[in-house]
Amino acid sequence: MSTGILAHQMKSREKFHWDKLSSYTPYFFIAPLLILIFIFSFYPFASGAIMSMTNAEAINEGEWVGFANFRELFQTEEFIDSLIHTFWFLIGCFITQIPVAYILAYILNNVTKKLRGVLRASFFVPVLINSVVIALMFRLLSNREVGAINWVLGLVHLPNNMDWINEPTLCIPLMVMAAFWQWTGYHMVYFLAQLQTIDISIYESAKLDGASPIRVLISIVTPMMRPAFIFVLVTSAIGCLMQFEYPFLIFPNGGYGPDRAAETAVCFIYRHGFSQQFRLGFATAASWVLFAITLVFSLIQIRIIGLGEANEE
Amino acid sequence: MNRSDQLLTVNEAKPHNFRRILRNIGYIILCGAGLLYLAPLLWLFDVSFRPMVEIFSVPPPFFQKPIWETFNTYSLTAYIGAIEQQVPLAVFNSTIVAIMGIVVTLLLVSLAAYAFACMRFPGKNVLFVLIIATMMLPNQTMLAPLYHIFRVIGLTDNLAGLVLLYAASAYCFWLMRQYIICIPKSLMESAQIDGANKLKIWWHIIVPLSKPAMAALAILQFRTIWNDFLVPIILMKTDTLYTLPLRIQLIDSFVVNKRYDILMATGFIAALIPLIFFLLFQRQFIEGLSGGIKG
Repeated sequence: MSTGILAHQMKSREKFHWDKLSSYTPYFFIAPLLILIFIFSFYPFASGAIMSMTNAEAINEGEWVGFANFRELFQTEEFIDSLIHTFWFLIGCFITQIPVAYILAYILNNVTKKLRGVLRASFFVPVLINSVVIALMFRLLSNREVGAINWVLGLVHLPNNMDWINEPTLCIPLMVMAAFWQWTGYHMVYFLAQLQTIDISIYESAKLDGASPIRVLISIVTPMMRPAFIFVLVTSAIGCLMQFEYPFLIFPNGGYGPDRAAETAVCFIYRHGFSQQFRLGFATAASWVLFAITLVFSLIQIRIIGLGEANEE
Repeated sequence: MNRSDQLLTVNEAKPHNFRRILRNIGYIILCGAGLLYLAPLLWLFDVSFRPMVEIFSVPPPFFQKPIWETFNTYSLTAYIGAIEQQVPLAVFNSTIVAIMGIVVTLLLVSLAAYAFACMRFPGKNVLFVLIIATMMLPNQTMLAPLYHIFRVIGLTDNLAGLVLLYAASAYCFWLMRQYIICIPKSLMESAQIDGANKLKIWWHIIVPLSKPAMAALAILQFRTIWNDFLVPIILMKTDTLYTLPLRIQLIDSFVVNKRYDILMATGFIAALIPLIFFLLFQRQFIEGLSGGIKG
């Protein structure tokens, strides 16, 4: 490698008489971004590793306590509960959003271009709206007596006396519902973009062989969409694991639901580090646990988007 | 001959027509679904103009009166209340952060992406992997250390701190590099022969040619910055520096006399601005958000 660079440099010197500085040019180009990334990504992680081993509180740096924070963390029922809530929220998001998004994308792929554009836009619109706003909207919509959700349920003759906000078992379904509205269009747009890269001749030849549209969907299109599925699953998983706005704002007064029934992992970190206790060391230990879980998904994500091309010139 | 022709067309026409009717019914159902999907947003728009008593009523206030009377109770009370709650200031703060954030991101990311896509230098692969690896480190995970570093460099409670944080985006860098790598090398070589240095090549060739990617990234960053809530709520303390989501949360935190009409009006303002951008730059939105796998 180094000889290659030397040859390259010599060649350019022959031609242009570059000054000595020119071999440092690439570093000047990448330095600003690199410095920011070091400050805001690497340094927090490095200092987080140390901080999680201390009993730092608010502006107090704290003392070294070893793994005590982690030990306490796994004995704290609230933390385990918050992980369980996050997990159920994640599962709920998976089974509601992804199949619907895929089927919608498949249908939209087969309609006229004009209609497709209009529908794609209308399903995409909630993606643009702030989670804070969506959380507040769903707080009002899910009101027991005067909320539109119960009203709609009543219209189609389903049980319509659900106390979404004050009933612990309904908290996570409510959050899944809000997330469904917000994110299905996002996944659908991604699926649709991938479906449109599939060669039309594949459909034609399948049709000639007498395959029904549903058969084509199951046996031909879906296997080809495997990378898209993994991508959507992973991005959606990371998003769900980071969920904070819904539990914080759907339920009034920052209560994370009745008996904290909706408290997700990030909420736990926020509550212990920034809102009630300011135990930064303890909160950082919780961050590490959450990060370890996220890492599984982000490693897959990195693999899909192709780190392998790093050697490309 | 003639008759058999007619027979044939009749036989073919029948299933054809039937299928067309079926398809049109399908289209109508789809359009209905699309409209229904927008219902919560339309509800938000509707209630933001109504007095607070009407927000808390079923069926939704729009359907309570016949269509020609339903707009009679519309007023701008909530929007005037929002102005009193310093919402315009929050919109201003959010706009400043978004614009600065986008400009700084594009500048840093395109410079770095150009170096990684078109130059050779020692340590290139290591640095590339390092930057890409930060995609695995979402800001939201390490909240306490992030707060700590901001305090060390003295940028808590400072909008510039937010701008710099958003600019350190590995994902934007990666998308940009994927784009620049596809720009033909011959263009840069001929510019080099004409005596242009790397900075000039960047400014006169890379920047103009990567405009589509820049537009997509700008939109992507705009959505991220405009809607971010968790990081600003940790870093910002002074309420005059609050961005829009923080201001909404502040209005929501009044326990006594909570004004849901103001909340809905502010929420609608917060939703409207990205919506306008979406209608203007729909293609860039879709490209930016679905650019994941495609190189």
